[in-house]
Amino acid sequence: MNDDVVVQLRDIRKTYNPGGLAVHVLKGISFSIQRGQFVGIVGTSGSGKSTMLNILGMLDVPTSGDYFLEKVNVATLSDSDQATVRNIRIGFIFQSFNLFPYLTIEQNIEVPMIYKRVSPRIRRARALELAKVVGLGHRLGHRPTQLSGGECQRVAVARSLCNDPAFLLADEPTGNLDEKTGNEIMALFHRINKEQNVTIIMVTHNPMFEPHYDKVIRLRDGRIVQTKPTDSVDELTGPLSGFGELPQDRMAADAKATLTTTAEQEGASR
Amino acid sequence: MMRFTDIVSLSFLNLRLHKTRSLLTSLGVIFGVGSVISMMAISKGAERSALSQIESMGIDKIIIYTKKPHFDTSGGNSSGRGAATSSVEDYGLDVRDYQFIRTMENVHHITTIRNTRQPITKGETRLDLKLCGVSLGFMKDTSCHLTSGRWFNEIDFRSPSTICVIGQNVKHRLFPLGATDVVGSNIRTPYASYRIVGIISNDNGTSLPEVGSPNDLILIPSNTDLSIYGNYASESQGRNRNKAILVDYDVMLVNVANLEYIDNTSKRLQNYLEKAHSKSKDWDMIVPLDLLKQRERTQKIFTIVMGAIASISLLVGGIGIMNIMLASVSERKKEIGTRRALGAQKFDILFQFLIETVILTTLGGCVGIGLGLGLSEIVKRYAEMPTEASMTNILGSLLISSFVGVVFGTYPAWRAAQQNPIDVLRSE
Repeated sequence: MNDDVVVQLRDIRKTYNPGGLAVHVLKGISFSIQRGQFVGIVGTSGSGKSTMLNILGMLDVPTSGDYFLEKVNVATLSDSDQATVRNIRIGFIFQSFNLFPYLTIEQNIEVPMIYKRVSPRIRRARALELAKVVGLGHRLGHRPTQLSGGECQRVAVARSLCNDPAFLLADEPTGNLDEKTGNEIMALFHRINKEQNVTIIMVTHNPMFEPHYDKVIRLRDGRIVQTKPTDSVDELTGPLSGFGELPQDRMAADAKATLTTTAEQEGASR
Repeated sequence: MMRFTDIVSLSFLNLRLHKTRSLLTSLGVIFGVGSVISMMAISKGAERSALSQIESMGIDKIIIYTKKPHFDTSGGNSSGRGAATSSVEDYGLDVRDYQFIRTMENVHHITTIRNTRQPITKGETRLDLKLCGVSLGFMKDTSCHLTSGRWFNEIDFRSPSTICVIGQNVKHRLFPLGATDVVGSNIRTPYASYRIVGIISNDNGTSLPEVGSPNDLILIPSNTDLSIYGNYASESQGRNRNKAILVDYDVMLVNVANLEYIDNTSKRLQNYLEKAHSKSKDWDMIVPLDLLKQRERTQKIFTIVMGAIASISLLVGGIGIMNIMLASVSERKKEIGTRRALGAQKFDILFQFLIETVILTTLGGCVGIGLGLGLSEIVKRYAEMPTEASMTNILGSLLISSFVGVVFGTYPAWRAAQQNPIDVLRSE
């Protein structure tokens, strides 16, 4: 195994309701992610990407298969150790930000450090540093309700970075944002990935951001239908098979269509 | 594990965030603790005043006293002289009793009191004061203290001297306010005049059977009493009807040598008196120690009952808190899930909710203590009942209210810790 492999999955399967009317959500997923990669896990609803995200975030356990996080088989870890790994090795970013409305921006960024028992003084310094990285250094005393959606997601990004995690796990981070703001957030991810060499795993159904990814893992019906390195902007016009019926998908596809003016392709995909 | 200070500050933050709910939630504990504190203070005050009254009689004493029996009016010593009749009533503790009891085992000494039943008047008004012949030990055995002048000495008892010591109420009744020459002046009674040598006072609320408070007494040495009045007293009963009363002693304060055997001594004393006064029951007995024990038993029952009431009210309060905390857990599922995803251990979540509950109940306890103290102060002020808040009760209540938080906070906190973080991420 390569030293720089952050995440390695081997034949991950997830079956709900085993024994009864079994629902096979993941049907043997294997891939690995190198340090510093910006990985997009894409797929429609029901493709298994949410389950994939939960397993990667150690919030759910696979029915079978092995998940190595920095060479450690997470199945061997106790509940408490898993919480610790989530705390210091994984940076969660949620679609709806999940900031604590009663805490200030600074306090929100500090939350994972509180669980790491970092002293208040160091916490404050780190929070300020990260707030500057995401461009909110001047708003530390504000509360999430006083911020726009994009700003909230920036706070969440700062929060995810505070314990120097092995990777960021972003769940539809732009799903609640308008296109322009979404692009800004993507640019922020891109910058963090490139400048600070932070590994990012992003789960999304939005094909628009594929140019940002170093690697795309496309899921359909619990299987990987395509793994591809996408290195250039040219890939924007790549195949769109597998994008389904959700309105967001259509909107995203429409947006893409206006960008690339390949309306026929869009129609075909439907 | 989170730092403890972080948990506490987070809990305070959450409680502040829901001020009204926090207040309403802890109302049960507030009123529970408040009622316990005030009831305890009131009962403690009542107990204290009862106990001090009992104790002022002296727990190392057996008090026996003369009680007027029911006389058969047809018989007896009445000498018919037409309309104006007079009778002689001879009853009560007598010299023979005194002689016998004095030699009983475990009896240290006896202090005797005899009411001369002489009318004390100021001008035309008859005052409710009593002239009593007492023995030397009276002042000490009734826990009185001298406010001016002197107490009797042994020489006063050797030859009948016409001196007296008065209680402080006597001074107030017989002399003008602020009179300074009370000691040295005289008190006139039908048969003699007494020079006041001292004034005594009793602050413990001591009340002797049949004679009352020492503050209302004019005391003369028993020898003086004997030589002037003998054992004779007369009482007028309406128009032209006089009655002679022959009583040797009204009260005997029997001091025991060894408190351990007081039960035995009081039993023997009772046996003797029952035999010696078999004709009619013209005596009675009080053992302050027995009263004390009885009072303590009553107090114990009262405490148990109160404890039960307090437990029930705290139970109700605790259940209310548990209910609200459970609601709070489901309301804060998203917060819990997010915290778990960000790295909170199950214990972190558990402690966060548990500490929150404990802070809630402890603060409720503090407010309740304030409420209780306020209530007992109001009772003291307006109902004029003695109240006494003890530090033990206050600390105990505080401890118990924290304990209520632990007991009723554990289940909701456990439920919070068991929340599955996936639900949060899936609920998007």
